[in-house]
Amino acid sequence: MTFLTLDAISKSYGPTVALDAIGMNIAAGGRTAIVGPSGSGKTTLLRIIAGFETPDSGSLVLDGKTLAGEGVLVPAHRRGIGIVSQDGALFPHLTVADNIGFGLPKKASDRSRRIAELMEMVELDEVMAARRPHQLSGGQQQRVALARALALKPRLMLLDEPFSALDTGLRDTLRRTVARVLRASGTTAILVTHDQAEALSFADQVAVLRQGRLVQFGSPRALYGKPRDRETATFLGEAILLDASIASGRAQCALGSLVVEAGLKTGQATVMLRPEQIRLTTAPAGAKIDGPFGRVDDVEFGGGNCMVLVRIDRSDRAMPDFLSIKCVGADIPEPGDLVGISVHGTAHVLPE
Amino acid sequence: MSATAFPAESASALRRLMIAAKGRSRIPYLWVTIVAAFVSFVSLVPLGFIAWISVQTGWETASRLIFRGRVGELLINTALLEFFTLPLTIALSVALAWLTERTDLPGARLWSLLAVAPLAVPAFVHSYAWISLVPGLHGLTGGVLVSVLAYFPFLYLPVAAQLRRLDPAIEDAAASLGLNPWQVFFRAVLPQLRLAICGGSLLVGLHLLAEYGLYVMIRFDTFSTAIVDQFQSAFNGPAANMLAGVLVSCCLLLLVLEAVLRGGERYARVGSGAARPADRRRLGRMVIPALALNAATVALAIGVPFVTLTRWLYIGGTEIWRIDLVGGAFAQTVVLAIAGGILATIAAAPMAWLSVRAPGRLQRILEACHYYVGSLPGVVVALALVTITVRLVLPLYQTFATLFLAYIMLFLPRAMVGLRTSIAQAPVELERAAMALGRTPFQAVRQTTMRLAAPGVAASTALVALGITNELTATLMLSPTGVETLATKFWSLTSEIDYVAAAPYAVMMVLLSLPLTFLLYAQSRRATGQ
Amino acid sequence: MTISFSGSVSALAFAALFASTGATVALAQEDIGIVVYNAQHESLGVAWAEAFTKETGIKVTLRKGSDMEFANQIVQEGAASPADVFLTENSPAMSLVDGAGLFEPVAAETLAQVPENFRPSNGHWIGVAARSTVFAYDKTKLTEDKLPKSMLDLADPSWKGRWAASPSGADFQAIVSALLSLKGEEATASWLKAMKENFTAYKGNSTAMKAVNAGEVEGAVIYHYYYFGDQAKTGENSKNVALHFFKNQDPGAFVSISGGGVLASSQHKENAQKFLAWITGKGGQGILRDGTSFEYAVGNGAASNTALPALSDLQYPKVDPATLNSAKVTDLMTDAGLL
Repeated sequence: MTFLTLDAISKSYGPTVALDAIGMNIAAGGRTAIVGPSGSGKTTLLRIIAGFETPDSGSLVLDGKTLAGEGVLVPAHRRGIGIVSQDGALFPHLTVADNIGFGLPKKASDRSRRIAELMEMVELDEVMAARRPHQLSGGQQQRVALARALALKPRLMLLDEPFSALDTGLRDTLRRTVARVLRASGTTAILVTHDQAEALSFADQVAVLRQGRLVQFGSPRALYGKPRDRETATFLGEAILLDASIASGRAQCALGSLVVEAGLKTGQATVMLRPEQIRLTTAPAGAKIDGPFGRVDDVEFGGGNCMVLVRIDRSDRAMPDFLSIKCVGADIPEPGDLVGISVHGTAHVLPE
Repeated sequence: MSATAFPAESASALRRLMIAAKGRSRIPYLWVTIVAAFVSFVSLVPLGFIAWISVQTGWETASRLIFRGRVGELLINTALLEFFTLPLTIALSVALAWLTERTDLPGARLWSLLAVAPLAVPAFVHSYAWISLVPGLHGLTGGVLVSVLAYFPFLYLPVAAQLRRLDPAIEDAAASLGLNPWQVFFRAVLPQLRLAICGGSLLVGLHLLAEYGLYVMIRFDTFSTAIVDQFQSAFNGPAANMLAGVLVSCCLLLLVLEAVLRGGERYARVGSGAARPADRRRLGRMVIPALALNAATVALAIGVPFVTLTRWLYIGGTEIWRIDLVGGAFAQTVVLAIAGGILATIAAAPMAWLSVRAPGRLQRILEACHYYVGSLPGVVVALALVTITVRLVLPLYQTFATLFLAYIMLFLPRAMVGLRTSIAQAPVELERAAMALGRTPFQAVRQTTMRLAAPGVAASTALVALGITNELTATLMLSPTGVETLATKFWSLTSEIDYVAAAPYAVMMVLLSLPLTFLLYAQSRRATGQ
Repeated sequence: MTISFSGSVSALAFAALFASTGATVALAQEDIGIVVYNAQHESLGVAWAEAFTKETGIKVTLRKGSDMEFANQIVQEGAASPADVFLTENSPAMSLVDGAGLFEPVAAETLAQVPENFRPSNGHWIGVAARSTVFAYDKTKLTEDKLPKSMLDLADPSWKGRWAASPSGADFQAIVSALLSLKGEEATASWLKAMKENFTAYKGNSTAMKAVNAGEVEGAVIYHYYYFGDQAKTGENSKNVALHFFKNQDPGAFVSISGGGVLASSQHKENAQKFLAWITGKGGQGILRDGTSFEYAVGNGAASNTALPALSDLQYPKVDPATLNSAKVTDLMTDAGLL
């Protein structure tokens, strides 16, 4: 069931096109991530949904009610949409408790109980209630901002890069808390981020925005495995892109003949493999290797995960190919080793 | 009073500092603290003087001079003046700041410059302009009107700067929590302006207490006018000194009141990164009243002086421009203003540096001394210096040294403000890096912080120079014989109601103040990154 | 960019500092001739000084202030006073300085230039000009029959809110000292109390006259020459004003003597005496006659401006200038809440 519908939303600032006919449907209770590099228009889109910006054209319908478009423009304060922004945007002149209770009626009898509840929900110690925002850590500030936005039980929660100012460890913990709290309250959420890993792990739907256009919209798995183009492929994670010729369900490339999706056109194309699809096998000295092989050029040691740079010399080309392959486990080859390369799963052919 | 608590406090703090100063890098802190302590000590002189005179006068005479009807009248006048002027000034400057900074008001940049421009017109020239235009204007109404017009830029500047500094995401958050634009303004924006409003109001409030010329012309008696009356009737007699004592108490009361209202906390911007520049609200149909408010303010605060001065200049023709008189006063004013500006900035530098680099209890006390003395009216400082020099150090009597001392005391806080901000912008790591590269501590400070603080130094000097250009009472009472500034010359001519001959002096003061005012404006915008 | 912006700023600052100290020192060391503490109208003081310098080549530096301010100041400065000559608008300030023994006796030939009734008997100072008390009134509102017969009538409740004065000025304080001398302390104190109830305070006599002219009050107790001065200029501030001389030896008919004296502490006594001799002689008194001050000339046979009614017709009360007590007046006025 569609809860939020964006239809052909466009926005320009002078000659700069910020958003170009964005359309998407978001289901109730879902968590959607809008991801894109900076300048892609993702924050503008969020601000249009929140009501801080007016789209030039297109419409925005929430739960059957038009918020923008067709001559209608509901101002931000009547939309009932919660927002948590990059650095929390807490009211510096109010205590934590007053920040959380800001949207609640002043005279509500259960006001303090509600505030306590919300603080507990976002895992804030009650001693924090009397503190001022500048006495809190970044993570605590974001928890307060979340609690403040949740206080009004919004139908839709917008999260504008809420984790970007935090340290890595804190970021993961807070992301899990937010996801849990939103699931528990059944709030539909839209997360804007430039961090693909965050988008993929947080959301059940991911929209990729680039230069104001919606490039791809789908489940994290689908986007990661089957990106539409080169940029999306590399944006969403490490990708190995190889020129290949496609014929009858197989792709011929530097790594030999790979299985691809059925029913593709015959011809030249680019195939994409994710590093985790590739295994390296170290051959004993002098042994013959079946299938594609290469020589280890360099190893970047990174603890559990190591990146191995493999050089593949081919008789039919002047220039060698270099593959950067992620290796997990104990069998890390040394530079100079000859390694066999095996591919697991199907290779994805970019549709461009 | 704080004066008695001071020595013990400072002695123990100084001991601690000296223990800490064993390390080489602490040495400048010690020396700078000693210099700053000396400046603070000098700044306590007027207060000490009041105490000394009160003791000398004896309780009986003192109480007879303090608890009398006239003092009551003056107290009521002062209270009424503050009571009406401050809220009006706050409302006007917040409205103008909001319109020029946060709405799509046409020509916002120009209006914002025009909102600062009244500072280039000395307060007593404002009232000269008004009584020329409306001769019957007098008393509380006149006083409040002219005060608001002359002083609102003191509030406009900090409020506008604070508005520019605010994180617009906070307003967005408030809107998303269901607040309409008015509620957003009153519940999310206004509270964040509190510090700026408190600070600006204090400045305006102190000016209301200290100003003399404005209220004489508009015929509204305040303590400052009454003290000068007494001074003219009996020189530094006990009555004048006792009035000064009451006036100083009023100033201290304002300082305490502001500190209480301001509260202990600071509203640092939470979070990292530069704030997105705020959106300007569309005024829509409100653009007409908004423009009208701006235009009316400009007309009253700049238009009236402009029209009056033009009229007097036209009537006077060329014969009022006696170059030997006007030019002489102009030259003397420029020299006094620049030299005083530099001296005050030098005097403020040690404290400004300490308060940024080594904030602590002793520093806060010393800093309070620096600020309090600037809150004293010129008439009080001048009265103290006249009496002290004539009775104790006669060689300094009626000398430039005494006049400059008065200027330094009166404008110490102005010098501190610019210096502090710019020193705060020069990270201490640079000094440390310079010392690591083999510079002595003093060289390090000179080669890093002092270089980076140069724009602040210029701003401080300019601010003080602006103050001296428009200073009247202390200059009247202290200047060496033969010294005539634009302000004193203007004053003696208007006292003989020779408004025509006074006009060139007023014009010169305005012309001299204009570039300084513009510098102030530019500085305030640069400080907030625009 | 090795010479940084800040470097040049500080260089400039120091250059300015040295230049300005240089300039101020130059200003301080410049030959300033004789120093005159001038409580007279600045324009009259300047006219005297300029003409005197022109004639004798002796430089005169004026410091401006008011009667009592200077008088008290001189007393405090004592022997160290930088002043050579003291000029006032009224006598009480002169009495104060004389009382402290700080005046050098005026040269006999100078004294001989002024009749005895315009100088104190001890000859420590000398009258240089005179001014008469008047009631300047709005002729569109008051007719002659409604004018007060005596200045004391202004204490009557019927005059509440109708008249003005400039109590902080030495002029009015001199009038009060005459009242004190003529009627005694008690009468003066009660008159001042009534005045506080009845009158409107203005700063300066010209401002008070301007208020009468503008219809803000019906009349003001001021000196005569403000009216004539304005009439001679544009008349803009006095076109509705007429003068009422109380005459009849009334305290309100008081003629105040502006004084001049040489200080005993003066380092330039010779030139100072010359200056005093000059202003009480033909040159100085001639400026009173021909200039725009409209104060009465006091020199023997010196004529006043022809626009003025003759001084001898004013029936002013006889008050010995030496008896005018300024400190008492300030106290009484402070007690009455006028200061």
